[in-house]
Amino acid sequence: MIRNVGRVAAMATVLAITLCPALAQDKAGNGLAVGRQMLAEDNPGELWVERGRRLFHEKRGPRNASLEQCDLGEGPGVVKGVFAHLPRYFADTGKVQDLESRLLTCMVQLQGFKREDIIRTRFGTLDRNSDLEALVSYIGAASNGMRMNVRLKHAQERDMYKAGEYLFYRRTGPLDFACVTCHGDSGKRIRLQELPNMTRAEELREIIPTGWPAYRGTHSTVRTMQHRLYDCFWQMRLPDLGYASDLSVALTTYLYHSANGGVINLPGVRR
Amino acid sequence: MNNKTILVLALTTATFVGCASFPDAQSTAKSAEQMVAEAHAIGTPDMKQRTVQDHSQRTCSAIGGAKLTSSQAAEITKTARDSIRYPSSGKLAGDWKTGARLTTDGRGQRIVNGKIEARKENGALCINCHALDPSDVNAGNLGPALIGYGKQRGNAEAVARYTYERIYNAWAFMPCSNMPRLGASGFLTPEQIAHVVAYLVDPLSPVNNSR
Ligand code: HEC
Ligand code: HEC
Repeated sequence: MIRNVGRVAAMATVLAITLCPALAQDKAGNGLAVGRQMLAEDNPGELWVERGRRLFHEKRGPRNASLEQCDLGEGPGVVKGVFAHLPRYFADTGKVQDLESRLLTCMVQLQGFKREDIIRTRFGTLDRNSDLEALVSYIGAASNGMRMNVRLKHAQERDMYKAGEYLFYRRTGPLDFACVTCHGDSGKRIRLQELPNMTRAEELREIIPTGWPAYRGTHSTVRTMQHRLYDCFWQMRLPDLGYASDLSVALTTYLYHSANGGVINLPGVRR
Repeated sequence: MNNKTILVLALTTATFVGCASFPDAQSTAKSAEQMVAEAHAIGTPDMKQRTVQDHSQRTCSAIGGAKLTSSQAAEITKTARDSIRYPSSGKLAGDWKTGARLTTDGRGQRIVNGKIEARKENGALCINCHALDPSDVNAGNLGPALIGYGKQRGNAEAVARYTYERIYNAWAFMPCSNMPRLGASGFLTPEQIAHVVAYLVDPLSPVNNSR
C-alpha cells in the first residue's frame, strides 16, 4: 500500500507537471550549490543562528511567551522544513506570508510585542542587534539540505505569484527601473557588483536557497530577504519598501517558487 | 489497487496538487497595482508619486519583456523626442572635467526613512553601467563600453547633438531601453548632460586619450 501511495504521488506529480507547465520547474535538480558551500564554512552567520535558537525558545515580550506555539506552516513550534514552503497561505490571518511577516504575526499575537516596535528594529545596526535577523537565521538553517518547494496550492498563493511576476517587470521611478532591468540578463554588473539573472531558474535555484538570510560582510550582520528587497528599492530611487508589505511578499513568492528544486543552505554569505 | 484505480487516483490528486488556474492578467494587474499603492508606509506624496507609471513606462513593463508593435515603438519614440530640452546657452558640449566627476558619481535621489539624500546635485550614474575611462576598471556593463567614443565618432556638432539627445532621453533612439531617461525625468539638468557629452567627445578626455 505504501508503495502504491508512492506511485500515486509520483504519477500525480508527473501529471501535474505535464498538465501545468508552471509547475514543471519544481522537479529540476541543482548541481550549482557546491561552490557556495565552501563560502559557508567559517560563516559568521552561525552566531545569528545560535542567538535565534535561544530567542525562539525563550519566554519573552509582554506576555512572557516563547515562540514554541508559533505555526510557521508545518505546525506549532516546527522550524524544520518551513523555509522550503514559504511564502504560503495562512488561514488564521487569511494572508500569504513570508517567513518574516509570519514571525511578525507570532511575535505580536503570542508574545504581545508591538508591531511598530518590531518593525522599527527590524534591521540590526552596529550597536543594536535585530531579533528578526537572528530568528530568520535560525529558522532558515533548520531547512538546510532540503529543496525549495513553494507549492502554490492555495488560490491566494497563485495570485501572489502572478502579482510578483507582474511587479518584477514593472518599470517606474525617476530611473525607469524594474527588477528585470538589473536582473534580466546573465553576466551583467553594476560597477563590479554581479547581478544574478532572475529570469533563469538555474540561477535562481543557485542564489535563492543559499541567499537570504545572509551574512553581509559590508554590513557586518545577517540581512534578510526583506532587507535585500529594501536595498534594491533604495537603489531604484523608490520610497522605503514597507516591511512585510504585500508587494514584498509577492516578489518573494515569485522568486522563491521559481527557485524550486534548489538546495537550501542558510544563512548565506554575501558581500 | 490495479493500474486503472491508480490512474484515476493520480488524476484526482494531480488536480488537487495544484493544477488550479492562475488569475487572468487583468485581475493580476489590478491587485499588483493595489500592492504598489500600499507598499510604502512612509514618504511624502511627492516620493510616492515616483511609483506611479507614465504611459511609456507602462508599455515597457510587459511581462517577459516588451515586444513592441511598430505603433507602440513610434509612440514611445515620439513622446521621448518631444521631451528633449537643450541648455539655455545652446552649448551641447560643456566642460569635460566636470563631466568626468559626474560620470563616476552614482549617487542622488535615494530615499532612506522617508528622506531624500541631501546633495547639491545628482550624480550622472554612467559608470554604473558603462566603461568610459579605460584606466577605471570599476565600471559596470549593463550598457555597452564607451571607451574611445569620441575617437571613433569625432567631436563634430552632429555627434555632440546625438550624444546629448541620447543621454537626455534614450527612449527617443531605443524605446524601452534599459538606459534611464536621465534628462527627461529631471534626474540630470541640461547643463550636467552637456558636461557629460564633453567628457565623451572631447579629444583630451581620458575616454579618448587613454594613457
Ligand atoms: C539598479 C539595479 C538594481 C535593480 C533595479 C534591482 N536590483 Fe536587486 N540587486 C542589485 C545589486 C547591485 C545586487 C547585489 C549584487 C551583489 O551584491 O553582488 C542585487 C541583489 C539582489 C538579490 C540578491 C541576489 C543574491 O545574490 O542573493 C535579490 C534577491 C534581488 N536583488 C532582487 C531584486 C528585486 C526583486 C528587484 C526589484 C524590486 C531588484 N532586485 C531590483 C541591483 C538591482
Ligand atoms: C542603468 C544603466 C545605464 C545608465 C545609468 C546609463 N546608461 Fe547609457 N546605455 C545603457 C544601455 C543598456 C544602453 C544600450 C541600449 C541603448 O542604446 O539605449 C546604453 C546606451 C548608451 C549610449 C549609446 C551608445 C551608442 O553606441 O550610440 C550612450 C552614448 C550612452 N548610453 C551614454 C550614457 C551616459 C553618458 C550615461 C550617464 C550620463 C549613461 N549612458 C547612463 C545603460 C545605461
